[in-house]
Amino acid sequence: MVQYNFKKITVVPSATDFINIILSRTQRQTPTVVHKGYAISRLRQFYMRKVKYTQQNFHDKLSTIIEEFPRLDDIHPFYGDLLHVLYNKDHYKLALGAINTARNQIGKVAKDYVKLLKYGDSLYRCKSLKVAALGRMCTLVKKLSGSLAYLEQIRQHMARLPSIDPNTRTLLICGYPNVGKSSFMNKITRADVDVQPYAFTTKSLFVGHTDYKYLRYQVIDTPGILDRPFEDRNIIEMCSITALAHLRSAVLFFLDISGSCGYSIAQQAALFHSIKSLFMNKPLMIVCNKTDLQPLEGLSEGDMKLVMEMKAEAMKTVIGQGGEATDDEGVLLTMSTLTEDGVMAVKNAACGRLLNQRVEIKMKSKKINDCLNRFHVAIPKPRDQKERPACIPQAVLEARAQQAAEKEKRKTERDLEDENGGAGVYSASLKKNYILANEEWKEDILPEILDGHNVADFIDPDILMRLEELEREEGMRQVEDDEDFEMDGKDLTPEEQEALAAIRKKKSMLIQQHRVKKSTAESRPTVPRKFDKSREFTTKRMGRQLSSLGLDPSLAIERARSRSRGRKRERSPERGDAMDVDTDESNKKLRTRSRSRSRSMSRPPTEFVPGAGFKDSEQKVKAIKLAKKSVKKRNKNARRGEADRVIPTLKPKHLFSGKRSIGKTDRR
Amino acid sequence: MRLEKCWFCSSTVYPGHGIQFVRNDAKVFRFCRSKCHKNFKMKRNPRKVKWTKAYRRLHGKDMTQDSTFEFERKRNRPERYDRNLAENTLKAIKKIAKVREDRAAGHHAFRMKGKKAKKQREEAKELEQGITLVKAPSVLQEEPSLTLPKIKVKVSHQESQENRAMEE
Repeated sequence: MVQYNFKKITVVPSATDFINIILSRTQRQTPTVVHKGYAISRLRQFYMRKVKYTQQNFHDKLSTIIEEFPRLDDIHPFYGDLLHVLYNKDHYKLALGAINTARNQIGKVAKDYVKLLKYGDSLYRCKSLKVAALGRMCTLVKKLSGSLAYLEQIRQHMARLPSIDPNTRTLLICGYPNVGKSSFMNKITRADVDVQPYAFTTKSLFVGHTDYKYLRYQVIDTPGILDRPFEDRNIIEMCSITALAHLRSAVLFFLDISGSCGYSIAQQAALFHSIKSLFMNKPLMIVCNKTDLQPLEGLSEGDMKLVMEMKAEAMKTVIGQGGEATDDEGVLLTMSTLTEDGVMAVKNAACGRLLNQRVEIKMKSKKINDCLNRFHVAIPKPRDQKERPACIPQAVLEARAQQAAEKEKRKTERDLEDENGGAGVYSASLKKNYILANEEWKEDILPEILDGHNVADFIDPDILMRLEELEREEGMRQVEDDEDFEMDGKDLTPEEQEALAAIRKKKSMLIQQHRVKKSTAESRPTVPRKFDKSREFTTKRMGRQLSSLGLDPSLAIERARSRSRGRKRERSPERGDAMDVDTDESNKKLRTRSRSRSRSMSRPPTEFVPGAGFKDSEQKVKAIKLAKKSVKKRNKNARRGEADRVIPTLKPKHLFSGKRSIGKTDRR
Repeated sequence: MRLEKCWFCSSTVYPGHGIQFVRNDAKVFRFCRSKCHKNFKMKRNPRKVKWTKAYRRLHGKDMTQDSTFEFERKRNRPERYDRNLAENTLKAIKKIAKVREDRAAGHHAFRMKGKKAKKQREEAKELEQGITLVKAPSVLQEEPSLTLPKIKVKVSHQESQENRAMEE
């Protein structure tokens, strides 16, 4: 069964496009560079190649066109006729013929010019020959422009033709316009045919598929046919006529008995009779549609008579196929596509009749005999009259019975849910089937969280025991705690605390002094101090210190005093009259000093103190002056000492920024 | 529904709070609030961040080892429900919590107690050793108590004489 599919024909380009394609291809695919200095054979070869290449391309393309378009004589007569009806056979053949001619002529042109090129003697001459050759080829194709355009149109239309298999089981629906053919088609197949109240809604053949007894049936919907002489029919009607004529199918003639299509039953009957010749050898059915508007029984006498005539005609076809004469059930049927009443019955009847017919034909043909011996249904002949039913063991039968009973008895959760209000209302109790020690506990609610702890972490079968242990421990610990508390310790008495404070103070003083000494160790002179400049070592001091330690200092003071010479002399102005003469001046001084002894007086800096490091007071004065001089400059610069080289601002802004009012800023 | 522990500060994360972060190695980090989450993202070690429980436990500020912690343990096998057990458990939780609190308080008190005894001992020692700085040994022999000596202020005759000489 060849599926006629005209969709695979390549696009036919228009003449100008065609020329452009070929020429540009020649330009691209052949070498382009040539100079007049080349050898002559090379030049000739160059141009010959171009000419041949172009000719070859033209030939190829035109051949594809010719081959792909179907030859009307070689395809099924249905398609042949259909194409003829649509496109006019002669026109079609002429177009293809023109293309063929052009192809041959191009070949000739190319041959001629190649011959001439063999004797071309210069680049210019070869080139002109090539130009002429290509030009003539293109002119030939330009003449084809009409044909090419026409073929392109046909190709586009052919691609949209429905793919009808002429050899398979087919139901053909025909009748006047608007009787309900397309609605019926929509009902039995998945085809979505336009159904409109105006006539000639369907303008071409439509194919749908339906199933009957596991076989696929093609259903073809045709445009409506009017009752006109054959010659006057337009293309659309001719389509349906062609289909009727060529397709070996069952024919369903639709009759609108209500007359709402705009044509009376008489007109429809007239049509029927005019095309009944086309119904030869085809199972014919009369289908009365739109019974919802007008039931068959309610028809008038005349109309009924006409219908019966048509039925009679249809019966003839039944008889012609070898069916029973009384089988008039499958000949005249009523239905309504609007209410879908009887639609399936019509389809089944039509399919059934067609199937029977095809089977009969197959059976009668010679080919069947080859097939018949390939299948054979073996039926064992009964040996005797004994009944031998299937043997099923008793246990299995019982089990089956039990299962069946169970299925009915068991109440499922879903049933329960439905009873109690449906999905949104009832929530199944998940705790129903819990296995617990006590049935009462099933509905218990246990908190998951208590006081910031997860209850599940604490659950333990021996928690009681452990808790008891814990409490015991806790009891013991508390007893221990109480005992521990008595260990207070001895505090220090206030006097002792005083003593401790004094000790600490003294210690810190010692440490401080040592630190001061250490830090000034470098700058301290290592000259021994023979004389007590800062008056540290006085008896008073000694006395104070000793008494603070708790000792009696008087003895020590006396001993210290007795040892010091200077003191003795100074302290006794009444004694020593003999010494008056020698120490007159000194006594005077001493006396003045002693008088002012009640007022404290520091030594003048220029005074010469023996043992302090100077020879005499002059040297000391000079030294002091030098010292002052060296310090003066530093003091003026606010420097703390020799080593003080601190610069408070390293980069003062006024020195490092700003423009000069006069001069350059080369340096900063 | 479970109460989880915050990975950073170890406080409990109640349902509806905090963020859970799952790392590529499938380790889950739970945080109680964005403070902990942000600290984690900064890669801070909770053991070094003062206000976290991890720090406090590590540095001995809070109780670490105790038998009350053994009661609360994540169990992977659920026990079959037993009403009595459930009741007992609920009561026990409260008691255990109380015990734990008491012990934690005791730990805290001990920590805050101070080094009184130590201090006292040290002071006594210092006093004994350093008494010679403020009290002469002979005085110490006479009066062995560790207190300051009584200072005897002696009025000297010579001094009074001198004054009289000046008054002239």
